Amino acid sequence: MLAWRIPMVQDLIAPVLRNVDIGGGNWLLEFEARDVSREMLPAQFFMIGVPGSDILLRRPFSVCGLPGTFADGRAGAVQILYRVYGRGTKLLASLGPGALLHVLGPLGRGFTAPPSRDAKIVLVAGGIGCAPFPAFIDALHREGRQAAMIYGARSVGELALLSWFRERCSSVAVATDDGSEGTRGFVTSPLAALLAEPGRGALHLYACGPTPMLKAVAKVALAAGVTCDLALEAPMACGFGVCLGCVVPTRDRAGAPVAYERVCVDGPVMRADRLAW
Amino acid sequence: MVTPDLSVSVGSLRLKNPVLTASGTFGYGLEFLPFLSLSSLGGIVTKGLSPKPRQGNPPERIVETSSGMLNAIGLQNVGVDAFIADKLPKLRDHDTAVVANVFGETESEYVEVCGKLDAADGVAAIELNVSCPNTEAGGMIFGNDPASLGAITRACRRATRLPLWVKLSPNVTDIRETAKAAEAEGADAVSLVNTFVGAVIDVEKRRPVLANLSGGLSGPAIRPLAVWMTWQVRRAVAIPIVGMGGIMTARDAVEFILAGATAVQVGTANFVNPRAAVDVVAGLAEWLSDHRVASVRELVGAAAGAQERA
Repeated sequence: MLAWRIPMVQDLIAPVLRNVDIGGGNWLLEFEARDVSREMLPAQFFMIGVPGSDILLRRPFSVCGLPGTFADGRAGAVQILYRVYGRGTKLLASLGPGALLHVLGPLGRGFTAPPSRDAKIVLVAGGIGCAPFPAFIDALHREGRQAAMIYGARSVGELALLSWFRERCSSVAVATDDGSEGTRGFVTSPLAALLAEPGRGALHLYACGPTPMLKAVAKVALAAGVTCDLALEAPMACGFGVCLGCVVPTRDRAGAPVAYERVCVDGPVMRADRLAW
Repeated sequence: MVTPDLSVSVGSLRLKNPVLTASGTFGYGLEFLPFLSLSSLGGIVTKGLSPKPRQGNPPERIVETSSGMLNAIGLQNVGVDAFIADKLPKLRDHDTAVVANVFGETESEYVEVCGKLDAADGVAAIELNVSCPNTEAGGMIFGNDPASLGAITRACRRATRLPLWVKLSPNVTDIRETAKAAEAEGADAVSLVNTFVGAVIDVEKRRPVLANLSGGLSGPAIRPLAVWMTWQVRRAVAIPIVGMGGIMTARDAVEFILAGATAVQVGTANFVNPRAAVDVVAGLAEWLSDHRVASVRELVGAAAGAQERA
C-alpha cells in the first residue's frame, strides 16, 4: 500500500443526492464530493453542517461509502451512515435531494490494511459504529483481501447494512443485547471465542463503536496479544486540530500516560495499546 | 469609491486591518494555512502560553449550547519555549501581527513568560490571560478583582517593552473596575471579553457534561453581553479596546467597533468556518464601501451615545 498521502482538506457546499431511511433509526445519505472522494481513506471523516440552520457547530461523520463501495452509488459521490439521535441528525434526516450541506473534509487518519498479508483481518462493529467499514471492506477487496466481521447492536433492527456485510465478508458473527439476532450479549463474546480458537494464527482487529465497547474490545485484544486499530468518536468543535475539545488520554511505549491527543487529527484511528483508558 | 482604509492602531501597534483571531480558537496560526493566508489578517492571537507545557483538562471538554458552546480545555499548550523554538520562526514568514497570549499559575510565571517573549523575534504584542475560567490556579483568580489584576499587570509591564494587552473576564460585578486597574498599571489596551462561566447538565446521567463541571461560554449567545461591556469600558478608560464575543460576520464586528472597539477578535467562528476571520475582513471592506465610510477608524465608538462619559 502506498505511503500516507494526506489529501488537501476542502470546504464544500455539497448537494444531497439521496437520503434514505434504511430502518432501525439509521439513514444513508449520499452527497456529491467529486474532488474529495478520489483521495479519501476509509475511517476518515467529514464535518457536516446545514447552511442556515441555528445549530452552531458542524458534526463529525465517518465516510461510509467511497466511489465503488455501493453498486448504486453515483460517480463522484460519497455516502455517510447516521443514526437519528439528536437535533443535528434529526435535521439531517429532513433533507431531500438538492438540499445543500456545508462539508469540510477529508479529515483525520483513516484505516490502512495491516502490512503483513498473513494476518487475518477482523472487523468489530457496534451499532452505528459499522459506518466506516463498507468503504474499508471495498478497499480491502481491491487489494485481494477479505475480512471477517463481528457485528453487535441492541436489537436486530439496528444492524444497518447487515445483508451488505454478509455478502462481502468471509463471515459475520452477530451479537445483540436482546438476542433477536445472533448470540445474546456483547461483541466481546464472539470476539473472545475467536481469539481462543486453537491455531488461529495472526489477527489484526479494526473496531468502531461506542466508547465502552471499544474499551472492552481493546482490553480483550491486548490481553490476547492481538494488534487492534480503533476508530474513535468524540465531541469536537472544529475537526481540524485547533479546538482541543476531542482529546483522549494516550500513553508512551513504556505504558505511562503522557498526553491528551486529538481524535480529529491524531486519530480518529488509533492503536489500542496507545490509549490510556 | 476608493478602497476603504482598514488600518488601525492599537496603541503603538499598527494593524493592517482590525481583525484578529481570538486565543484558543486559532491554535498557533499555522494550523489554518490550508485554509487562508495569515497575511490577510490584522493579527493572530496564540493559544495561551505557559512556562511549561500543559496537558489540559480530562474530557469531556466541550459541549454545544443554544447559539454557543461551552469549553473547559484547561489551557493545553506546548509551553512558551516550544512556541518560540518551533512555531514563531514559521510565523515570521507571514505578514501579520503575532500577539502572544500569556498564562501563568503565579505572578512569577506570568513574568517569566513575558520576559521570554520579549526576547524573541516576531512577537508584536502580549495579551495577558487573567480571565481563563477553566484552570484551578492562576487565570481568573488574577482577573477577578481590580487589585490583583493591577498587581499582575504591573509586574508584567516591567518584564516587557512589547505592547501589553490585558484580556478581561466578564465574570465580574463591574468590568469597568478591572479595565481601569489595567489602564492604571500601564496596559496599552484591554481585550474583552473572555468566556462566561456556565454549566450544562446531562439530565439522563444526572451529572454535568464537562469533566471540569463548569466551562466557558462563547459564540453568538454572548455577543450582546460582550457588546454592552465594550460600550461600558469605552466610557471608563482611554486606552484602546480589542472587542470580542460571538463575532461571526463583518456586521457583528461593526457592532463592536461602533460600541468602542478599535480592533476585534474572531473566536468560536473559526471552528465553524476556518475562513471566518478572512471573511470578516472582506465583509468589513464591503460594508465600509457600501456605507461610504473612508476609514474604519471613523467608526470606533461612533454609535450614538458611546462617547459620552458616564
